[in-house]
Amino acid sequence: MARDQALSLLAAANNHGDLAVKLSSLKQAKDILFSVEPSQAAELFSYLAELQSSPEPLVRKYLLEVIDDAGAKGSEHLVILFPVLLTFLKDNNPIVATQSIITGTKIFSSVLEELALQFQRRGIVQRWLEELWTGLIKFRDAVLGIIFEAGPIGPKLLSIKFLETFILCFTLDSTEFDMCNPEVIARQGSMFNVSWIADSHPILNPHALMSDANRHLEILLEILLSASKLPGCMTITAVNSLVAIARKRPVYYKTVLKALLDFSPSIEMAKGRHTVSIQYSLRTAFLGFLRCTHPIMTESREKLLKELRAMNAGDAADQVIRQMDKIMRNNERASRELQFSKDDQLSSQLHISGELTKKRTAQLDNENQNNIFEASSKKSRHGPHNSKTTTASDAKQDHVNGISAKPPVLDGDLTPVEQMIAMIGALIAEGERGVESLEILISNIHADLLADIVITNMKHLPKNPPPLTRYGNLSLNHPSDTSDPAQVVGSNGFATSTQSLDHLAQLPASSLSTTSGAVSDTFATANLSTDSKRDPRRDPRRLDPRRLVAPTDMSQTYVVEENVGTVQHPTVEPDFNPVSSSSVLLSAPQSVPEFAPQPLPTIETDINLPDSPMTIEVDEPIQKYEVHDFDANVITPDKDANNYLHLSPSSGKEEDVVSPASMDLAMLDEAYSPSSEASDELPPDIPNVEASESASAELPVLPLYIELDEDHQIRARRLALERIINKYQNSQRTDIKQTQIALVARLFAQIDVSDVIEMAQKLIISDYEEQKGHELVLHILYHLHSLVISDSASSAAAVYENFLLGVAKSLLVDLPASNKSFSRLLGEVPNIPDSVLGMLDDMCTKSHSGADGRDGDRVTQGLGAVWSLILSRPFIRQACLDIALKCTVHPKDDIQAKAIRLVSNKLYAVSYISNSIEQFAKNMFLSAVDQHSSDALLSESAISDRRIGGQVEGAETSTSGSQVSEPEISPDETMKGVLDDSSNIFSQAHRHMSLFFALCAKKPVLLQLVFDSYTRSSKAVKQAVHRHITVLMRALGSSYSDLLHIISNPPQGSEDLLTQVLHLLSEGRAPPTDLVVTVKHLYETRLKDATILIPILSAFSRDEVLPIFPRLVQLPLPKFQMALAHILQGSAHTGPALTPVEVLVAIHDISPERDSLPLKKITDTCSACFEQRTVFTQQVLAKALNQMVDRTPLPLLFMRTVIQAIDAFPSLVDFVMDILSKLVNRQVWRMPKQWVGFLKCISQTQPHSFKVLLQLPSPQLESALSKYPNLRGPLAAYTNQSSIKTSVPRTTLVLLGLASETQMQQPHAVSSLHASDGPTST
Amino acid sequence: MGRPVLDNETWHFKLKSLREEISELSDRSEMKLRHAMVCSSNQNRSMEAHWLLKREGFDVASYGTGQHVKLPGPSLREPNVYDFGTPYKQMFDDLRRKDPELYRRNGILPMLKRNLSVKTAPQRWQENAADGTFDVVLTFEEKVFDMVLEDLHNRKHVLLKPVLVINLEVKDNHEEAAIGGRLALQLCQEIEAAGNWEECVDDLIMNFERQNHRKLVYSISYY
Repeated sequence: MARDQALSLLAAANNHGDLAVKLSSLKQAKDILFSVEPSQAAELFSYLAELQSSPEPLVRKYLLEVIDDAGAKGSEHLVILFPVLLTFLKDNNPIVATQSIITGTKIFSSVLEELALQFQRRGIVQRWLEELWTGLIKFRDAVLGIIFEAGPIGPKLLSIKFLETFILCFTLDSTEFDMCNPEVIARQGSMFNVSWIADSHPILNPHALMSDANRHLEILLEILLSASKLPGCMTITAVNSLVAIARKRPVYYKTVLKALLDFSPSIEMAKGRHTVSIQYSLRTAFLGFLRCTHPIMTESREKLLKELRAMNAGDAADQVIRQMDKIMRNNERASRELQFSKDDQLSSQLHISGELTKKRTAQLDNENQNNIFEASSKKSRHGPHNSKTTTASDAKQDHVNGISAKPPVLDGDLTPVEQMIAMIGALIAEGERGVESLEILISNIHADLLADIVITNMKHLPKNPPPLTRYGNLSLNHPSDTSDPAQVVGSNGFATSTQSLDHLAQLPASSLSTTSGAVSDTFATANLSTDSKRDPRRDPRRLDPRRLVAPTDMSQTYVVEENVGTVQHPTVEPDFNPVSSSSVLLSAPQSVPEFAPQPLPTIETDINLPDSPMTIEVDEPIQKYEVHDFDANVITPDKDANNYLHLSPSSGKEEDVVSPASMDLAMLDEAYSPSSEASDELPPDIPNVEASESASAELPVLPLYIELDEDHQIRARRLALERIINKYQNSQRTDIKQTQIALVARLFAQIDVSDVIEMAQKLIISDYEEQKGHELVLHILYHLHSLVISDSASSAAAVYENFLLGVAKSLLVDLPASNKSFSRLLGEVPNIPDSVLGMLDDMCTKSHSGADGRDGDRVTQGLGAVWSLILSRPFIRQACLDIALKCTVHPKDDIQAKAIRLVSNKLYAVSYISNSIEQFAKNMFLSAVDQHSSDALLSESAISDRRIGGQVEGAETSTSGSQVSEPEISPDETMKGVLDDSSNIFSQAHRHMSLFFALCAKKPVLLQLVFDSYTRSSKAVKQAVHRHITVLMRALGSSYSDLLHIISNPPQGSEDLLTQVLHLLSEGRAPPTDLVVTVKHLYETRLKDATILIPILSAFSRDEVLPIFPRLVQLPLPKFQMALAHILQGSAHTGPALTPVEVLVAIHDISPERDSLPLKKITDTCSACFEQRTVFTQQVLAKALNQMVDRTPLPLLFMRTVIQAIDAFPSLVDFVMDILSKLVNRQVWRMPKQWVGFLKCISQTQPHSFKVLLQLPSPQLESALSKYPNLRGPLAAYTNQSSIKTSVPRTTLVLLGLASETQMQQPHAVSSLHASDGPTST
Repeated sequence: MGRPVLDNETWHFKLKSLREEISELSDRSEMKLRHAMVCSSNQNRSMEAHWLLKREGFDVASYGTGQHVKLPGPSLREPNVYDFGTPYKQMFDDLRRKDPELYRRNGILPMLKRNLSVKTAPQRWQENAADGTFDVVLTFEEKVFDMVLEDLHNRKHVLLKPVLVINLEVKDNHEEAAIGGRLALQLCQEIEAAGNWEECVDDLIMNFERQNHRKLVYSISYY
């Protein structure tokens, strides 16, 4: 039934027209196939296999999936289906081809596994598996063919992957070394390996297969060789596969690495391929190798690094190395902790050696027997370097007899440094177990803290010279005055771990001394790793042959190996010479000849020292030594001792102690016979002595410890400091500088001698340029400051203050004012004492020596410093601000100007201080306004002045005394002078206001205060205000708008100020509209003073001016003239508001009664106009008069103006006559006020006026003549002329006596009289 | 024998669902690829690209390779550090609480807002084994590229499925990330359009470099 179903489904899958039906059928068929009985399945599977020729790629692909499933199930039907894979390899659809390789590869692995396991378990191999294997071999050959055949690339990539799988399967697995990542190993699980195959396997011949694998590797390498012909992605894949093989199978590593290294240059010639990526694949490969910890790979580290650097991948490489180091450390620690948690400490020693052995056995095949000595030699190498450190840190370890490791108790009350020391001690006490943790701990300690630790520890240096020096067991035993036996006992502290492993194993009792050795080992490791971390490449120790075994190196065992030959010798020797220490000592130098030259110079110089006791100059060899073995802990004690020798030739006792020691060292090369004393003094613990002696073969010279009295200590410290500082300058190496800085800082704290400060200052300043001085100063200051904080009673505060002051002054004196160092220093120091502020104050407010013309610069510099301090140091912000503010009222103009610029432009913008600035400015302003309070203010500031100045002087005398400044004028004098007279009041007021007005420029609203206090100000103050406001307004320019509020509501009494402001605002330009509106409003509502309108008059139109014109006339004449100028000037847009003609007319239009103006005012105004002849010209007058003459009524002053006009411009006479004639026609006699003027004008303008006069009717003529009798004669004479007489009415003639009474009645005269009679209405 | 196994109705129903499956299958044969965008913190560059590709209908995920998720803080020395898996929303709230002004100004808050619209939380590349396989992995920094390759190398290659890993160097700021995102989109479009990338990856990469004046690096690994 199932079979039928399956067959029909398969038929459908094969033949149906619809792809969906095909696939669906196939799917169902598959389900059935896997569930039917095996007997039936065989037939069905062969049907299934027929589908391989299906034209649909999807069907073929699905068929592959079925095969995949079958493979995964380990079904024996695979045999039937497998040939399909072979067919599919050549499928024209690359996806199908690719997939068939994938499926084939999977089947390959699983079949191999099955083959191996089946034989292992049952001793036989099933037939189908055998068949399948034959198929797989064919498959393999076909796949190999694909790589180099032309065709799609996808399958080729998989072919390469298949090759990789094949090779991995048939090479011996040694994955344990691929410790890239423990995670990885866990994740990977176990994979088939050729080692699974038993030798007697019927089908699989492991040897043949392994050689196959070799061959296949060559195919992969071949791909690299022919890379130029292949697509880039193939090359990359090949590289990746090779790398995977090399990493998993280190046997191939060298071959692969060589191929890759050879390959890199040939990439260049590639075309049509993405060479960058190919190159990058190499980079990835090398980085990957670096990540591996297998010894073979670590061996080639240098080569890899070089190659990577050449690829510009040095950084990445360094990073990987750092990472690996970290992982290694963590792993080791983890494994150690694991082990130690099980075992107790004693047996752990054995355990470690066991561990080492175990490690070794893994590599036994290629490592030689020297391994036995590796562990011991390694220790003996590291031990000596740091024996001093051990002494230093094992605080209470006076009798370091190997039983040393008493853990200092951790105490809650300890300082951080002490805690640190306690912790280190505890770790040391842990012995071997603590090593890793200690290493990590120390590598994480900041250099500063480390320096602190070492310095603190120096307290605990043994009372007696640490006796163990490089060759120095002699010296320790030798000194004649070995009155103190402890001295000798101390030597054993350095018993290092030279006991070889067999010792160890046999003598568990001695393990404790080994522990101490391990401790020193740790120290070396720690220090080295810390240092080399900074910059491993530049570490000079790398050049030092003694340091070849850098503990940071990953594979210690390997490097150590190089030295085994050398070290091994002395290590073993003690076993044979257990008692005679001297013989060992003699043999030691010989057995290690290459080390001998290294320490010798040092020793010799040590001897030289006493010969030239006063030469303080540093002797080169010592320097060298220091540089070589540079450790913070080495330098200080060493120097103390040496320097002390220089200094105190007189103190004989100490010298005694030292010189024999040095002598001994010098005698080393000579045959030396051990003194009996020495052996007498030998401690009972003989094995330890042996150990120390044999180790001493390479021990560096230990500093001699000498107890100094207080005085000498100080001198020694000073000299040490001096030397470090001297060297500091020359030293180019930054890593050393770092340590030097830390040391100097600490030494400084211990010395309170002022001349040292001076010396330091000089040196620091000279180096300041390179910024290192700065760093040093800060270090010192911070250190001092920390002392101050931790112990308020200490003298550090004074030292701090003196030093800071001194440095600051030197900076000022020695560096140009433009140098920023000064303000940088102040900005970064931990604390600024008052005296420094005083100095700053001095600097800003008083001129310095003056001669060099740098005063101004100094002030600028000082203010600059003040500025940055205000911004960066909140605690002294107020004090600095006070300085700056004080300068703003300084009598010296340039100081004041600078200060004001600073305060108003920079500081005022800072939100948190703007208020206090404003307040200060206000106070000063008000003090200027109200004279009395200003006195108080000034004297107050004078007091503070004195106070600060006094402090500075005090400080100066206490330090170097380098002169900064002398106060020139005492503030009191200044003040007295100021108050002397009013001009001084003015200048003082002006000065005190300056800041305020400068602020007003930033914040015009402040002007309100000026307006408010204006009324009560004295004249001089007002003057000052006016002067300031002029400048201010010009500065404000268009940003006046804030003022509108003030303008719209000026306080009583501030009109003058207001007017000035308005003038200034509209000066030289058209007054802005909003200003005009505001002022107009003000005028209309509150302030009926037309004066305020004057500045804006030019913006007025004709219709606006005319209504207020009388008010303008009412103003005092000068103001009116100003107003007139504005009116006539007008705005650029609209032209003048009024023409001169209109002005004249307007003036005449004013009515004294209506406008309540005294007539006098108007006439004055008129006269004023006439004075401006350039404006009110002849033509203007004529035009104005012409307009006015037709007015009814005539303007009051009309005739007066006419007379004035004719006075001013006599040439107007004809015009005036016309005017007069018109007036006659208008019966001027009926207008009494005009009539008077008319007659006056007639009289003044005779004889021109006779013609007009004659036009008058007789009665008027008569009254005129009666008023001006002197007219009669000339008029009669004029009329009597024949030409005129005829036209003159008879009555007139009669009046003039030129005709009789009777002739008077003349008709035309009557008519003319009538004509002029009508309109008169006066 | 030729009798249909199922009754007609079921048969047709099955056929219908199968057709859908086929169209999906043929889609896959048209290389409907899975993409992964990887940067170090899975915040800026990878998320910008993720967002863009997602918007364009790509099958895409994104990851970071760092130990932690780091976001800029008030100063260089005080970054905000989160664990991978911390929801973007939580970071958003955290930073908004700390200094809304600062983080709005430096674009961190807007970025987080964008991110939380794309997915819940940053994911770490090294822990993405459960997310299935990718066809294309785009990294935005050499270091990240190295880490992805190293991680892929350390995985067990069971499926033998090739994965194309490309590095497109993009600076870690908002502007560059936006540019980088567009380039990533373009690159993925080109890869998808190419069909089998194996056949033409060199040309594709080189053309892209020429067009966009960018340097790419690619490598191939396997799942």
